Amino acid sequence: MTELTEPATSAEPSTATYVFAVCRATDAPALATARGHGDGGEVRALPAGTLAAVVQEVPTAAHDEEALRRRLSERTELERYARAHHEVVAAVCEAVTAVPLPLATLYRGEERARRALAEREARFHRILDRVEGCAEWGVKVWALARPSAPGGPEPATGGDDESPAGSSGRAYLERLRGRQRAREARQHAAWTAAERVDAALRPLAVASRRLRAQGQDPAQGGSGNQLLNAAYLVRRDGAAALATALRALNDAPDTGDQVRIEVTGPWAPYSFADGTDAADETHTEAPDGAG
Amino acid sequence: MARDELVPWQDPEGPSLPLGVPLVDLLDRVLAAGVVINGDVVIAIAEVPLVRLSLRALLASVSDRVPAPWADGGPL
Repeated sequence: MTELTEPATSAEPSTATYVFAVCRATDAPALATARGHGDGGEVRALPAGTLAAVVQEVPTAAHDEEALRRRLSERTELERYARAHHEVVAAVCEAVTAVPLPLATLYRGEERARRALAEREARFHRILDRVEGCAEWGVKVWALARPSAPGGPEPATGGDDESPAGSSGRAYLERLRGRQRAREARQHAAWTAAERVDAALRPLAVASRRLRAQGQDPAQGGSGNQLLNAAYLVRRDGAAALATALRALNDAPDTGDQVRIEVTGPWAPYSFADGTDAADETHTEAPDGAG
Repeated sequence: MARDELVPWQDPEGPSLPLGVPLVDLLDRVLAAGVVINGDVVIAIAEVPLVRLSLRALLASVSDRVPAPWADGGPL
């Protein structure tokens, strides 16, 4: 589109205000940021009372609902958009205490963004106080794929030709039951291990959350169910203790031998930015209605 | 086993390795980050086909509190 004229005055402004994160106004000078969205202006601080928003002016045409729906429907574009967002959020949260906002939080102009912040001022400060000096760590626990022996002695060494059909049928059922019991025991041990991991890490965290489980383990070629997808808000000086605890869990037979533990982080406190104070709250609103 | 992964992926100088951040985990966070304020532009994430798809496939779960079903059930 090579439209050089400004859109009609009363219509949408040609740029929108994209808000990445919110910090205290006093921290604004210390802000470090990244490039942000490729089609936008400079990422900067927008003062709003005792708070400051980290914002970028972006062209409305590329960031309105229509355009975003189209862009986010495309895998590469979704990834680019998410990573551009994350880079800014991560840089900000690395430098100062800040509350990350969800992807695509957009306002029709600075004034509206400022007003939105002002209305939630107290809440933002509560969250800022809570996440101060902390980082989020992600811990995922997967069941180990089953020892893969199903193709083994399956046809029951059918050698005993003279055995009555009933007996071999019983043996077959017996074998099935045995397998079933073994699987249940394995599942139980894995669940217990996952709970043990969570129980060991929670005391090291200021707050913790269960995120949605992500399904199968890509590192195990898509087998191995995810048992735990948790986020822990940990003080920066507690990160070493977390690492030690994780190593111990990995080495302990009742956890390390039962499950695979994966850690990601440090993250900006994405999962602790909604102002609920209770630990162990789950996200109540699934973006998708779960089918 | 996962011992190496205890090392943070970010350099002390800053988040210089955005590609090191797994997309699934990233989406998990940037989409579901706590909502303190609503923007003027509200994209219903569930209406975006790819996001919906990847949430189904990658973040599939029965409910928020029950982590994951055992999909490898079945008699054999």
